[in-house]
Amino acid sequence: MSEASLFVEAPPEGGKSRRGFVLRTIRRQPAALAGALFLLAMTVTAILAPWIAPYPLHEQVGPVFGHPSWQHLLGLDDGGIDMVTLLIWGLRVSLVVGFAATLVSMVIGGTVGLVAGYFGGGTDTVLMRITDYFLVIPDVPLMIVVAAIWGPSLFHIIIVIGILLWTSTARVVRAQVKSVRERVYVKRARALGAGHARIVVRHVLPQVAPLLIASTVLTIAVAIFDETALAFLGLSDPSAISLGKLIENAAERAAISTGAWWAIVPPGVLVAALILACSLVGGALEDALNPRLRVAHLSARSFRLRTLVGRGKGAV
Amino acid sequence: MRGTDYVLKRVGFAIVTVFVAVTINFVLFRLAPGDAVTNLSRVPHATPQLRHALEVQFGLDKSKWQQYVIYLKQLAHGNLGISYTNQQPVSTNLRDKLINTLPMVTLGTVFAIVFGTFTGVIAAWRRGTKAERATVFSALGFYAMPTQWLGLMLIIIFAGVLPTGGMTNEFLLDPPFWTHVRDLASHIFLPALTLGLVLYGEYTLIVRSAMLETLGEDYILTARAKGLKPRTIVRKHALRNALLPITTLIALSLGYIVAGAILVEIVFSWPGIGSAVNDAVHQRDYPMLQGAFLVLTVSVIFFNLVADLLYFRLDPRITE
Amino acid sequence: MTKKRLLAALPLFLGALTLAIAATGCGGSKSSTSSSSSSGGTFRLGTASGIDSLNPYVAFNQDAYSAFEYTYPILVQYDSNLHYAPFFAKSWHASNDGKTWTFKTQPNAKWTDGKPLTAADAAWTINTDIKYKDGGAANAAGLVNHITKATAPNATTLVVKYDEAPGPTWVLGQFQQFFILPQHIWAQHIGKDGAGLKTFPNNAPVVGSGPFTLVKYQKNQITLFKRNDSYWGTKPKIDEFGLQQYSNDDAMVTALKSGDLDAIETVPATAMKTLRNAGFEVSDVPGLDQTDFIINSNPQKKTHRELLDLKVKEAFDHAINRQKIDEVTFLGAAQPAVSIIPAPAGAGWHNPHLKPVTFDLDLANKLLDQAGFKRGPGGIRVADGQKMSYNVVAPTDVQSIPRTFQILQTDFAKIGVQLKQQALDSSAAFAKMTSPNNTYQGFDLAMWDWTALIDPDFMLSVVTCDQYGGWSDSGYCDKDYDKMYTEQQVAPSEAKRRQIVWAMQAKLYKDRPYLWLANDDSVAAVSSDWADFQNTAQGPFNELNIESLTQVHQK
Repeated sequence: MSEASLFVEAPPEGGKSRRGFVLRTIRRQPAALAGALFLLAMTVTAILAPWIAPYPLHEQVGPVFGHPSWQHLLGLDDGGIDMVTLLIWGLRVSLVVGFAATLVSMVIGGTVGLVAGYFGGGTDTVLMRITDYFLVIPDVPLMIVVAAIWGPSLFHIIIVIGILLWTSTARVVRAQVKSVRERVYVKRARALGAGHARIVVRHVLPQVAPLLIASTVLTIAVAIFDETALAFLGLSDPSAISLGKLIENAAERAAISTGAWWAIVPPGVLVAALILACSLVGGALEDALNPRLRVAHLSARSFRLRTLVGRGKGAV
Repeated sequence: MRGTDYVLKRVGFAIVTVFVAVTINFVLFRLAPGDAVTNLSRVPHATPQLRHALEVQFGLDKSKWQQYVIYLKQLAHGNLGISYTNQQPVSTNLRDKLINTLPMVTLGTVFAIVFGTFTGVIAAWRRGTKAERATVFSALGFYAMPTQWLGLMLIIIFAGVLPTGGMTNEFLLDPPFWTHVRDLASHIFLPALTLGLVLYGEYTLIVRSAMLETLGEDYILTARAKGLKPRTIVRKHALRNALLPITTLIALSLGYIVAGAILVEIVFSWPGIGSAVNDAVHQRDYPMLQGAFLVLTVSVIFFNLVADLLYFRLDPRITE
Repeated sequence: MTKKRLLAALPLFLGALTLAIAATGCGGSKSSTSSSSSSGGTFRLGTASGIDSLNPYVAFNQDAYSAFEYTYPILVQYDSNLHYAPFFAKSWHASNDGKTWTFKTQPNAKWTDGKPLTAADAAWTINTDIKYKDGGAANAAGLVNHITKATAPNATTLVVKYDEAPGPTWVLGQFQQFFILPQHIWAQHIGKDGAGLKTFPNNAPVVGSGPFTLVKYQKNQITLFKRNDSYWGTKPKIDEFGLQQYSNDDAMVTALKSGDLDAIETVPATAMKTLRNAGFEVSDVPGLDQTDFIINSNPQKKTHRELLDLKVKEAFDHAINRQKIDEVTFLGAAQPAVSIIPAPAGAGWHNPHLKPVTFDLDLANKLLDQAGFKRGPGGIRVADGQKMSYNVVAPTDVQSIPRTFQILQTDFAKIGVQLKQQALDSSAAFAKMTSPNNTYQGFDLAMWDWTALIDPDFMLSVVTCDQYGGWSDSGYCDKDYDKMYTEQQVAPSEAKRRQIVWAMQAKLYKDRPYLWLANDDSVAAVSSDWADFQNTAQGPFNELNIESLTQVHQK
């Protein structure tokens, strides 16, 4: 990534060769490519979990906190269960939470952004005001409160994370829709009498979609991260073994003072690797697609468009 | 005076937001299933009378609307209610906790700002070199680590060298001043470092982006062409202009840091507001949780306002 | 602002910060008093649980009661063999009809504020608890059951009158848990209908009269006790004792290892071996805590009535691999549990004839087959047209549940019964189980734990019909059992009471509202610099007696 930059890149030449540009950008950023490949590999691993996990998920195969060995490369956890197996299944749950919560936030954020940007005027003002309120709610405490009130379950966590993460998507999409709307061919389509739905589906959506995808990748990272935090606070579903749950289990059962580093280090490394990969890919995509997101061009309020900071509030 | 308008508008927005937050706060907690009386009355021979007495005591017998009005009135007087668990005013509880949280959070943030700015500038200036790659990857690495996990890793590394829990050695009764300072410093080190490292990653990336942006501007090119020393260019031109977004961003993130210290506080048994939130969740201490949530939300709103005003102060052209 | 100026401002800022930190910290520790000429040193004990309140009418945690044991006068205590021994009461006797008990109390005793401590304080506390037992004093109501009135004819005589003759061990068992409060402090805080008893914070320094004075209390952090030099009994060897709470077990164990603590009262099972290897004295004694698998036994239950079938309950019992639970969840620091009264409870109250049933999945399957519940799709049995698939309410604050549940779930699947974990925090779990309106229709199965006392009365009470909405978490209600419960309270002799208590256990063993899983040990660790730190079934810091912390001393 010598030319590199993760987040700053030359703007695309016009709108037509955008897709080609994306590919070119990724190719020019080996780190982003590596991230994408890693994510792909992890997704495949997660999907294949039932077939490739070396041992059954709930079966005790040795002593509690058994040391790493040839049979169990990463040792055993506090229930005598193979760590490699747990990591594979944990990856699956974490990714499911990541994807599902992102889907929820994409649907909400995409809709709000599309409607606000497309219709403008009063609708825009109202929707953006609501978005502003959501932006200032500290999300980790709210997630804690809601998860605590509703009770710990994976479904609740997905909904809670999804409901809180849509704001940045909404803003990105709105900005893009606004610019697309003013383009000549959209104006022409409208003049020709095309309905709102048709214009949105045929003209606006295809233009916004790539950006939505970039935003998605970054949101996945935030969702995975937030699930890890909630699991650590004991607010995740205890029967759903996610990577966050693995960290919590190990911490609850004093893995560190027992010397069982293998129960607590690998899940954290895996989470970090996932988030790193998502950031690399998402950042590269976003920069390639929307150079206007470059920091200094924005007003203070819009800074939080960058999932970088969006995640930051969840980070600590 | 468009400037005054702008300021008034931002302040107005902040006030309305606080009101919205207060309302959301109220609704959220009243929707909760199973009130705290269930917990309180779990004593032998609890009679319906006792349950009722407790409901009256905590105002749970009135209609939701009345409860809302009472809540607003009390809030206006700075009364956040009485904690279910220790029966003390929530405001007192929270104040004590906040006083504990602030030094740790401030230290971590200062660390992150200092090192984040430093490495961010280097990364931007040494663009395309190994130094940049190393900086960016280390920053991204810290940024990607789950906070609680990083804290646990630091416990592994520093076990036996530094205290891993609590804020002071509570067994030192009336220690001499410097002993006390040393004790506090040793306790604050790991939690502040955890927080600092996570933020460091983030701030490095922000500063680097802002610097890169500035370094591409015409006047920097001109300065280079004039043959100015790189150091002078960075200090006198690039950093000065990059400071604008950096400052606002940092102000923005401050609001979230207090809220976000929860994980760090739990890992290190730090008796701050984050631990208080966690305890309140597990004990269903709604007034306490409600109060903490309000304080956290208001702090975010406040720092948002600060960021807005700061931005205006630094760049009065902005009026949107 | 240029970078230069910014950087120049930093040292200033950091300096200010340091001062600010120092200032806050100083503020925090100002309540500590100047330490006396120290020779006995400070004993630092780490805990994962801690003291939840200093008010005996509010407190819930074991640590809080242990703190009261060391700070308030109590009529009787247990000796090391768990027999009743004099404490604030030097002697006692019952009248011939058994309805009047007279206690002779310590003369010349003082509260820590210098006011005299007499039998009148005891009488006042008893009468106050009776008066407000449906209100502010509900927490202590069980302890003054059957008492009509207490009087103090003189400073060292306490006379307690009962409505019917209670059993002697029962009387002493209740008074062993009864903290006498200073009338001159508490009488001002009764409030309307005794509500003030619950809201009085009783802040440190607490006016008490035990071997220690509680001088500093910060919830969820630290409680400090100083030796009370005006204490009327044997004085502790240490100067101070502190209880420090940790929200993270690893941090606590690390603190012990690095010398920031002298002992831990709740050692996580996984850390036992490490601590032993590191040279700490780890004591592992049978404890009073038992984890249980609850089967909703409400006779009026509307759904899944097959769970009331004793054959089904028996089959479930055979599907529990207690040995594996012991090994995996507790790493050997537990015994298979069998009765509502755990074996370490005092004075032979535990019925030794009850044995845990065998782990035998074939037998369990056979029993369910005999009951006519055939396997349906997915291998899950069907009872009365309904799948034998149940939610198990699992409170999130019992650490051992997640592991234990996994073991149960795997084995129950093999007998065609599906278990699903429904994690709720403890108050939500209890609300769910008792719902709606304390009719116990809201759940089928649950997991929880009970910590027994030495006297069996309390544990036996939790399954009485009377406890619906109170302590009952099983919905069990049986008239015969309730009759026996009242009988044991008024049994004329210890032997007679034991006989009834054993019969009650046998009945519960058969009716199975609880399938007892594990009776976990009390595991404590202490640094080798200290001697005579005693661990008991209730842990080293307990409400049995004041031995542990009055005996402990530096080597």
